Amino acid sequence: MRWFRRLFNVFRRENVSAEIDRELSFHIAERVDEYVAAGMTPDGARRRALLEFGGFGAHKEHTREMVLNVSIEAFLQDLRFAVRMLLKNPGFAAAVVATLALGIGPSTAIFSVVDFLLVRPLPVQAPSKLVVPYVQQHGNSLQPAFSVPDYRDLQRDNSDVFSGLLASRELIDGLGFSGKAEKVMDLYVTGNFFSVLGLKPALGRFFASTEGERALADPVMVLSYAYWKSRFGGDPNIVGKAVAIDGRAITVIGIAPEGFYGVSPWANIQGYIPLGMAPISGADPDDFLENRRYRAISLLGRLRPGVSVQQAEAALDVEAKRLSRDHAAEDADLRLPLFPEPATRFDDPRNGTLTVVSTLFLGLSAVVLLLSCFNTGNLLAVRATFRQSELALRAALGAARGRLRQQLLVEWSVLSIGGGIAGTALGLFLSSLAGAMKLETDVPIRLDFHFDWRVLLFAVISTLTAGVIGGIAPALHGSRRNLNSSLNEGGRATTAKHRRVRSAMLMAQVGGAMTLLIAAGLFAHSLRRAEHTDLGFDPDHVLNFTMDPLLTGYNRSQGTEFFKTLLERLREEPGVISASTAYAAPMSYVVVGDTLSIKGFETPKGQPRPRAMYNTVSPDYFATLHIRLTHGRGFTEADDDRGDPVAIVSEAFAERYWPKLDPIGRTFTMLSNPGHDPRVVGVAADVRYRGIAGPIAPYFYVPFAQRPGTDSWATVQIRTAPSADSMVPEIERALASIDPDQPVWDLKTMHQGLYTMWGLLIFRLAAGLGAFLGAMALMLTLVGLYGVVSYDTSRRTREIGIRIALGARPSEIVRMVVRYALVILAVGLAVGFAGSLATSRFIGQFLILSPLDPLVYVLVSTSLTLVVLLACLVPAGKAARLDPISALRIRRER
Amino acid sequence: MPKNKNDILQGTLVLLVLKTLSSQKRMHGYAMTNHIQRVSSELLRVEEGSLYPALHRLENEGLVRAEWATTENGREARFYSITSKGRSEFAREEENWERLTEGVRRVLRYA
Repeated sequence: MRWFRRLFNVFRRENVSAEIDRELSFHIAERVDEYVAAGMTPDGARRRALLEFGGFGAHKEHTREMVLNVSIEAFLQDLRFAVRMLLKNPGFAAAVVATLALGIGPSTAIFSVVDFLLVRPLPVQAPSKLVVPYVQQHGNSLQPAFSVPDYRDLQRDNSDVFSGLLASRELIDGLGFSGKAEKVMDLYVTGNFFSVLGLKPALGRFFASTEGERALADPVMVLSYAYWKSRFGGDPNIVGKAVAIDGRAITVIGIAPEGFYGVSPWANIQGYIPLGMAPISGADPDDFLENRRYRAISLLGRLRPGVSVQQAEAALDVEAKRLSRDHAAEDADLRLPLFPEPATRFDDPRNGTLTVVSTLFLGLSAVVLLLSCFNTGNLLAVRATFRQSELALRAALGAARGRLRQQLLVEWSVLSIGGGIAGTALGLFLSSLAGAMKLETDVPIRLDFHFDWRVLLFAVISTLTAGVIGGIAPALHGSRRNLNSSLNEGGRATTAKHRRVRSAMLMAQVGGAMTLLIAAGLFAHSLRRAEHTDLGFDPDHVLNFTMDPLLTGYNRSQGTEFFKTLLERLREEPGVISASTAYAAPMSYVVVGDTLSIKGFETPKGQPRPRAMYNTVSPDYFATLHIRLTHGRGFTEADDDRGDPVAIVSEAFAERYWPKLDPIGRTFTMLSNPGHDPRVVGVAADVRYRGIAGPIAPYFYVPFAQRPGTDSWATVQIRTAPSADSMVPEIERALASIDPDQPVWDLKTMHQGLYTMWGLLIFRLAAGLGAFLGAMALMLTLVGLYGVVSYDTSRRTREIGIRIALGARPSEIVRMVVRYALVILAVGLAVGFAGSLATSRFIGQFLILSPLDPLVYVLVSTSLTLVVLLACLVPAGKAARLDPISALRIRRER
Repeated sequence: MPKNKNDILQGTLVLLVLKTLSSQKRMHGYAMTNHIQRVSSELLRVEEGSLYPALHRLENEGLVRAEWATTENGREARFYSITSKGRSEFAREEENWERLTEGVRRVLRYA
């Protein structure tokens, strides 16, 4: 009621003011009468009455505060005043807003990436209940790959913990519809897929629960909403029509809801097909629905309400033991660990490399944010001292101290909100840059760093943090001053304490910048190292492209023939030195591995069974990539499906499994392909297929013509005489003349192909991001230091003038200013060194050099020293050239 | 700011104002200061700087009512009078005061 009345009074405040004026004037008039009656002169009486009454203005203000709801009125007033003050000082306002934006923008952008990678739930019903089971056999690495029979057992036996368990398999298909087939990413799914996820079709229907159980029985598909829009223009009549998937007719029965992209955030699924249809894409054998040995599907379960991940995992433990017992041939020594879905998105859910990387870069961007806070803090403190006399004057005229503080706070809030908005805009821009990042693959990978509410919340929290850190010190500074001294000294008073606070902030700034620059330098140096690492092959003059004739309906042996002819034709092209195929080019996203039993090698007790990555290659592969064969022979055209199974192993393979023995003539068995035990005919030098640093894992090769499985996916590699990129048009022309209907993708040089997440891209990203954050930090430090030093020297104009008048030489003045900067620099470098030591353990695992690399440390401290000197030399020079006469005459320099 | 001995203790001003108004029909601020000074035999002096904010607060709280009227010597003044809500508040305040002074007296006698 009372509050309401005061609020109401706000609207008649002009009246209120006049009323209070009248009331107080009446009081004074009565008092004057009293004194006159007592015998004083009217003038004397009036003076005495006013003196006794005290500050008329202050009393009036005070009374007004009682009458009006001052908090609102004052706030509106302060807001108007703040905007007016800032508009009068656009340079200052712009500097603060820009500085804040530079801090808030990058961290928000980085958070948007982290949000996408680790946090944002799948666009399905109750995503927090989704869990992913893994397979771990013989203590080997975790694989999210199950066989269909194992999946069926799991689904049957665990309905008490899972309300639903679905399986899916990602495959690249060719989708033909009136014309050339287009490469699409399809998800082959169990019939319960959409119902477990709780989705409703945008159009048509989804699968029945029985669809997908039998091989090749259900030629139907559901299109993703986005693909339906882009390929078919959103034509509703497509439902019921047939399209060609890898050359077979399949009927479109429905459209998935808008915004649904599948069950892993990075894969943009374009079509959904019943699991039983997977053999049409050629990747899976026809019996894969019954073959317990063939592990190709990944699972996603929905926990029943009230069931924890631990409880579900305990149930799976029981299941794993039963499977190991009942199916010892395939499932011996099985474990089935279970993880919440977000942990399984990008790498091994146990080590959380991505979490570490995310934390690292969020941490580094937080340093930039902190630096920008310090900078704005300094800017505000400088401004507060400039405004000291204004504030003192207003306090003397009756402004309450709390009111002044509130006003500074409102002004600061306007600035920080401006900074927050500008920062969010900058963040949006930066994250759109990141989203446009080239991953060196034509596979539809989703990089959706859009700003959802979490990112916006992060931006708001960053802004609030920046507001609190940047605003506290100067706000206190501005209001808690002795009015008298401020007025008397013409706003020149600067206590040692404020200078100390400023110096400490500068030191922290130099330290933070050093930490960031060291990280950036280490990443950059790592990238240089990585680019010059001996990869075991020669990436120069090599052109790659990928084809899969199965996409247009070829079978396995037709696929083999297709590539044989293709390679022959390519070799006839001028400029082509040699041409070959491989399943997996080095550093590509394609990878295949198997668990092995190796004759002559006993797995030590408690150790995992041998497991190795392998490649299926054509005979010329080693010649094309310049991979050295150290023993035995390479593959020949005679090593085909009629010949004996053969293999070439890497040196690391021979070293690990047949140490000190001749590997030639020895055999091993691939778990997924028993009965075709290849015999080793040669040893090849180690090649880095995945990762630039660390020991090279064992690897082996089998001939393309003897490849296990039915698939014909291959990357063609061509060694060219001229530079590889100059050959692109000729190769395109040649391919068009050989078979214009075959989709070709990832046509690019081997050098470009190295910049993948497994290869150099991670180093380039780290170096780029590090350099960006480092440059921000350097700029903020330069600006901050320059600002504070020039402010400081201008405050000391009188003192410097006196020094010069008393005979100080310019060099001494310069030295005085530089000395201050050097102290800041020295302490800052020490802080930065400590900071770098603290982060080195974190950063070390992403480097291919020591995190204490002396070259980086020397370069960074030298460049920081230069920057600091640069920042203080200009103001120092100005101070040294000071004319003592005018310096002493100026009372106030504003 | 040095405290004057006969400055009114914070919080007792409201009590004094309510007491003054409950014994008089209506009164303006100036008369109140004089009244309190006189009745207390010059022991208490009301600070104008505290009186007017206090009066306006009491008005907002509905404990007093204010109206403009003309004084005997023809000036416009703001006259205050107590409301029934003000009377019950005064009773409560007075009781509080009694208790406080009684307590203080006991402590002083004891220690």
